[in-house]
Amino acid sequence: MRRFVRDNSLSLFFLVAFVLALIGQSFAGNAAVNEDRLAEGSAPLSWAEYVTSSDFAVDVAENWQSEYLQFLLFILATVWLVQRGSPESKKPGDEGTEDDAEQKVGRHAPPDGPDWAGAGGLRQGLYGRSLGLAMGAIFLLSWLAQSVAGTAAYNTERLTRLEDPVSWGQYALSADFWNRTLQNWQSEFLAVLSMVVLSIYLRQRGSPESKPVGAPHEATGVEG
Amino acid sequence: MRVDRTVRAATAVVACAVGLTCLAGCASADEEPAREAARRFYDALQARQPERACALLVPEAAESLASGDRTCASTIAELDLPGGEVLDAEVWGDEARVRLARDTVFLHRLPTGWLVRGAGCAPRRDLPYDCEVST
Repeated sequence: MRRFVRDNSLSLFFLVAFVLALIGQSFAGNAAVNEDRLAEGSAPLSWAEYVTSSDFAVDVAENWQSEYLQFLLFILATVWLVQRGSPESKKPGDEGTEDDAEQKVGRHAPPDGPDWAGAGGLRQGLYGRSLGLAMGAIFLLSWLAQSVAGTAAYNTERLTRLEDPVSWGQYALSADFWNRTLQNWQSEFLAVLSMVVLSIYLRQRGSPESKPVGAPHEATGVEG
Repeated sequence: MRVDRTVRAATAVVACAVGLTCLAGCASADEEPAREAARRFYDALQARQPERACALLVPEAAESLASGDRTCASTIAELDLPGGEVLDAEVWGDEARVRLARDTVFLHRLPTGWLVRGAGCAPRRDLPYDCEVST
């Protein structure tokens, strides 16, 4: 048990942090919505009603989609684009999907490697892109969830203002949907940019996301 | 083995995202009670029972019709609210729009049931409906 915790401490830390933050968001969001509802004379929502409401769903989904888009783009962009001096980047000249020997696939696959890396054809092609495909699928589903939940939340607001509700398609083209979407995207892109550039010049001793403290600024793709 | 674990984890996250979508999509299931509340409101007006009609308004709408020595009932009795057969209804959260043959009614759900918050409403291009009864 102790060994399991030690071997998986990074995943466990973020799993616990995620669950605590989501629970915290559900209570804070419920309180915020109930302040508004009491001010307009409506009955407050219970916690169970709030966490199954479109308001909660859209708030969760819009953050999920942007996080998964961030990682999807980072995974895909770093195949083809480089940043000299960044530990997040491959060395200039190494751009591209690399050959089978470098990627340890097909006949170059080690015996203890994943089965599908040693297999040929579609299975190898699929497994060789499985991380991007999984992140991309979760991004698209979260974005879809945001648009569906957003339609419900937006239409509730519109009816309150004595306006006609809109269809899902109209909402997906609306300012509200794109404002929610782009305000999340810009912050994710800025965070990635900061990580790529700051890691050229700054260090975090012991972190694999940083170069070793003494590594030169020009060293690229070196993790500490 | 490692592939299985990855697929299981990805499936769990995808299931959550699909769950969120379903959750949000199930927002507008109960239209009939809203239709019924709109019908009751117009039935009261047609039966010349303005007090009963006022009791079916949200308090803010009823208060907006009372001023000076005029009560909600006396004001609403003089309004020529057209009504007609219920054509369709849309419910989103605790709000509803019910379209009748000659009117559009907006309703709000309270713990006691649906009450009218807008009636005698005429659409205006790119603006909220103009309602003879509103909050």
